[in-house]
Amino acid sequence: MADLRLALLLLLAGLLAAPASGAGPAAAPEDPAPIVVSRQLLRSQGLAVGDVVSLSSDPSGREARRFRIVGAYEPTPDPARLGDAWLEARLHLPDLISLTADPADPQAGEAVQAINVRLVDPGDAEAFARELAARLPGLAVRSTAAPPAGRVDPFVVLERFHLAIAVVTVVASSVFLLALMVMLVDERRETVATLRLIGLRRRRILLQVALEGLVIAVAGAAFGVVLAAALQAGFNRFFQWRYDTALVFVHVTPAIAGRSVLLAVPLGLVASLVSSWGLVRRRGLSVARR
Amino acid sequence: MRVWAFALRSLVRQPGRASLGVLGIAGVGALLFDMLMLSRGLVVSLQEVLDSAGFDVRVMATDVPFGGPPVTGARAAAAAIAALPEVAEVVPVAFGRARAAGPDGRVLHAGFMGVETGARRPWTLLAGDDLAAPRPGPPSLVVNRNLAEALGVSPGGAATLRADCSRGASALPPARFRVAGIVDFPFDEAAGLSAAARLEDFRHACGLDELDEAQLLLVASREGHGPAAAVRAIREARKDLHAFTNEELVARFQEVGFSYFRQISTVLSTVTLVFAFLLITVLLTVSVNQRFAEIAALRALGFSRKRVVQDVLCQSALLVGAGGALSLPLGLALSTWLDAILRAMPEIPASFRFFVFEPRALGLHLALLAVTAVLAALYPMRLVAGLPIAATLRDEAVT
Repeated sequence: MADLRLALLLLLAGLLAAPASGAGPAAAPEDPAPIVVSRQLLRSQGLAVGDVVSLSSDPSGREARRFRIVGAYEPTPDPARLGDAWLEARLHLPDLISLTADPADPQAGEAVQAINVRLVDPGDAEAFARELAARLPGLAVRSTAAPPAGRVDPFVVLERFHLAIAVVTVVASSVFLLALMVMLVDERRETVATLRLIGLRRRRILLQVALEGLVIAVAGAAFGVVLAAALQAGFNRFFQWRYDTALVFVHVTPAIAGRSVLLAVPLGLVASLVSSWGLVRRRGLSVARR
Repeated sequence: MRVWAFALRSLVRQPGRASLGVLGIAGVGALLFDMLMLSRGLVVSLQEVLDSAGFDVRVMATDVPFGGPPVTGARAAAAAIAALPEVAEVVPVAFGRARAAGPDGRVLHAGFMGVETGARRPWTLLAGDDLAAPRPGPPSLVVNRNLAEALGVSPGGAATLRADCSRGASALPPARFRVAGIVDFPFDEAAGLSAAARLEDFRHACGLDELDEAQLLLVASREGHGPAAAVRAIREARKDLHAFTNEELVARFQEVGFSYFRQISTVLSTVTLVFAFLLITVLLTVSVNQRFAEIAALRALGFSRKRVVQDVLCQSALLVGAGGALSLPLGLALSTWLDAILRAMPEIPASFRFFVFEPRALGLHLALLAVTAVLAALYPMRLVAGLPIAATLRDEAVT
């Protein structure tokens, strides 16, 4: 795959060296072969669908061939290539081979770097790869469904990293939340004292505090989810503009929203109860004393 | 001094809430400190690794930092560059792959490098000898520790490699080498298998005896001239090649590589600071609200408006200062954990660190926390400054 990228880079070097339509060094009499180019290349070079460009595998533009741009495409977003300039062109395989093959190598016209196979049942990928590798020694057959053995999926690593960051954030937030709740409960000392003195039981007051905490936690969690959902469009638009890509950076799914609520609500509830317990467990008169 | 002591007493009077506030700031501060270390961690690591080999200039065929086409006519190019007065040494390097059979018959895939030997080597010798000059018998080879263990060889032993240096599939005969030494390659992955031979032996093993190519020319500038002067001289002498100092290469790579971690560190630093600002503001505001009567009494006793405003600012500074101080060891410990998670990422050299401590990161961390402390104190300071003394005391007396 890296070699194919290299080949395309070489092609693009040629393209950039001679982009003018109809200015190729050796105008072929027949209609130029069709190619499609990436949206980024089309824009960066001021090209348009229908233009004729010259491509060469040599950076000097030697032995260039003319091609007609028949379309532009959006490259498949790839987080591993974030920040790369997506200056690419896609040719029909015979055109690419005839452009890049070494004339001195009789087998060059028959060689490709990779063959992509789409299976009827994607679940057979591992078994198919094993069987093909056994039948055709010398070929590296790999399933794209899972990383090669002994190799960690980078997105699994990133997920672990994000989870760790989330854990730290939740712990720090919880401590802050507890501090705030302690202060708020302290502010309501007189109310709690009055309620105790008029005969309300500890359990009754604690239930009220718990319900209040629950309402606040649910409202806060819901606000957080709505805020995240509202901000995701802005985040995505900014980073898509910054990296000139169609990659989606933030996606608030129902599962993520649910997980956040499931974490936030019990935390809020526990913080309310813990902060109130110190006040509620004391006798009414001692609470009322300033 | 008395202002600070007074603010400290105000905090200590309610140790529970003050401790929770400090702990919360420490947690947020630790995350901020880590994000600042992450923002340049890989860049600093790359710079350190590039500098470690003793070569301060890299010459390539194109301006693509990694993975570009090879330099053709490598011998002539190396000779022309070596002749420049600004250059001390030039070492052409070629890269390929190799397969070898392990003791259990398992096929091992290793990175294979060909190097024109000089005074400097792009690796560190750990055991045995370095690559030797040509002599009768199998050519010499250096391997990393992983490959030596996988092959079950030690210095002086033999290794058979089936090299693959072409872009397509190849079926070259195996080449037999004598393992001269075990080395540490700076760009090796943690579990990576690597070997290096003299460029001539590498080409022979690859079946490329006639191909005079190298992916890279490593250049050491002459003392007294420096890498910048060497790069200028190389660009002047060989306009077809692209020379970069290590700093230029790092700066260039920073533009396109590592973007993800730089961006996530910027986003998380910003979110963390906003979060810290909001929470400290709320803590101080609620605290001030509860102390309205006390502050009004202090004003009535003769404390000036400036004095009570300073008290709030000092409390904010003490909370953030204590939390910030605690955030440093906490952040360093946290970074060790986060670094261990990220270093499982494939294709990351084992010598790279995602979180690297720099005085710059520490300075920025302290500056950001100081600004946050001041900004967070502004609203409660305004409340205190505008507090009506008589009305507040009357309200307090009535309630």
